[in-house]
Amino acid sequence: MEIISAMPGALAQGLIWGIMAIGLYITYKILDFADLTVDGSLCTGAAVCAVLIAAGANPWLAILAAFFAGAIAGLITGLLHTLLGIPAILSGILTQLMLWSINLKILGKANLSLNPRVMNLAVSMLETWKTVAVVAAVLAALIAVLYWFFGTEIGSSIRATGSNPEMCRSQGINTELNKVIALMLSNAIVALSGAFLAQYQGFADINMGRGAIVIGLAAVIVGLAVFSKAGKNFAVRLIGVVVGSIIYYVVYQTVIGLGLDKDLLKLFSALVVAVFLAVPHWKNKFASVKKTEKKSEDGNA
Amino acid sequence: MKTLRKILCAALAATCVIGMTFATSCGKSADFKVGICQLVRHDALDAATEGFKFALEAELKKEGKTVEFDEQNAQGDTVMCGQIVTSFVTGKVDLIMANATPALQSAVAGTQTIPILGTSVTNYEDALFHKLTNGATGYNVSGTSDLADLEGQANMLLDLLPNVKKVGILYCSAEANSQYQADELKKHFAAKNVVAEDVKFSDSNDLQSVCNSAVGKYDAIFVPTDNTAAANGEIIDGVFRSKKIPVFAGEEGICKKCGFATLAISYRRLGEQTGVMAAKILLGNAKVGEMPIEIDTKQEKKYSKARCEELGITIPENAGYIEI
Repeated sequence: MEIISAMPGALAQGLIWGIMAIGLYITYKILDFADLTVDGSLCTGAAVCAVLIAAGANPWLAILAAFFAGAIAGLITGLLHTLLGIPAILSGILTQLMLWSINLKILGKANLSLNPRVMNLAVSMLETWKTVAVVAAVLAALIAVLYWFFGTEIGSSIRATGSNPEMCRSQGINTELNKVIALMLSNAIVALSGAFLAQYQGFADINMGRGAIVIGLAAVIVGLAVFSKAGKNFAVRLIGVVVGSIIYYVVYQTVIGLGLDKDLLKLFSALVVAVFLAVPHWKNKFASVKKTEKKSEDGNA
Repeated sequence: MKTLRKILCAALAATCVIGMTFATSCGKSADFKVGICQLVRHDALDAATEGFKFALEAELKKEGKTVEFDEQNAQGDTVMCGQIVTSFVTGKVDLIMANATPALQSAVAGTQTIPILGTSVTNYEDALFHKLTNGATGYNVSGTSDLADLEGQANMLLDLLPNVKKVGILYCSAEANSQYQADELKKHFAAKNVVAEDVKFSDSNDLQSVCNSAVGKYDAIFVPTDNTAAANGEIIDGVFRSKKIPVFAGEEGICKKCGFATLAISYRRLGEQTGVMAAKILLGNAKVGEMPIEIDTKQEKKYSKARCEELGITIPENAGYIEI
């Protein structure tokens, strides 16, 4: 019964990380760019938001500021990749390294408390259902805006860049600019998620972003696998990604609730992620096996 | 594909069911249920948890009550602390013991009703962003602080090493408690005309390089009660011992691994103090919001015989130094 009652918390966490998963979806799936900046930009969003709230600012203004801070982080990665010609993964790693120092300077120290009793916060672990409602509303607005954006000329041009960069360049599209814009947008959204996470868990800590990309990728891939038959509609895909994040957290909270040897916790979560990541692969294998079976049947008929 | 999806859903449902069976099979055999959230495994935090459990069980036994512990370790992952606290809150524990600052902050963000006792937290005002009144919070938080007598520690280092002119304070930039101690120590050293500088590392991966860079720059190294340094004390020892640079430790666990001396509180005693406080709360004899934060007032001078001999440091006789 305890695990059932832990579900609202898992749902709230899943939704917050769902925002991050959407940001990761833009670079990973649309732009086909493995962006490791997210480990750093998650913390940047949290740091900027926390510092502003601790100074007395309105939490929503702080969240907006975090959004723009994330965009700057994405800009750095974009410039490293386009101007300096550094390969995608490396530029993400370099920005992540830079952001460790930058985040420390923003926070002023390693850890900043966001005590819900003394500060005005938008979301908090103390009010799980309010958090679910607020974050769900933010997600709905975000998906709507992104759906509109990727239908515009710039948005379509970004999708084309991710799909076939050479063809785009030959058509006169500025692929470099598109990559930078997509990275800025993606990291801005990840920073947004960081801002909510810091308020939810009650503190911003320099170690927050570590391993975030693993969670984000797991959410994206799980969500896409589960929603694959629901159609190619972009909005549905984004919702699928959020659902993937919720599934990940429900499973994670269940594993914690099982009361197994705590040292093995990370092993189990890695195994869970591995199983989920294997799903599309197995699906393809089954599909191709079925196809060859059908072909041989037709051939024999 | 439908079959695969069905299998996945079935597996998920099965995990949930198994989980529920485990959860309910635990039964209500004890009078009280206490959740312990520890940030990471190392000697000091482990000792605090052991002391807490020992003292709480002993105190409750006097009244004929029993207690059940749900001990969780966040493996150094600050975000996991939030999930552990969520499982405590939904499990309706009677008290939460938060071992280290991120655990305390997660607990504070997670519940307004369940009493929370922190331990191994250096500065509560910083951790909670809240001024204490008469040392108490006024809401559902109290606990023990591992704040050592920093001035006493600085003086002890200078007593044992009178020729020191420059001290490097080694700590992890990711730990706010360490930064607080470093800032205070710099003031105390400055008052004695000794230069003290920060030697910061970001995590266990660059600890060795940072230690190497400090060789030759400082006459002595000071390691405050830093969780990462405590967990990786062997690396620090590996660098400084062979170069004959004395390392003064902020607590006993660190001293055993790499230090020559320490003016230490006992984390075990701190944990026991926390256990006694917990017993008072559970038995209804005290309100958590009114209990002031306690510290371990007994500090002991300890030294490592082997390292002192190698460094040629003479420990004064009959001055209360304990060998470890």
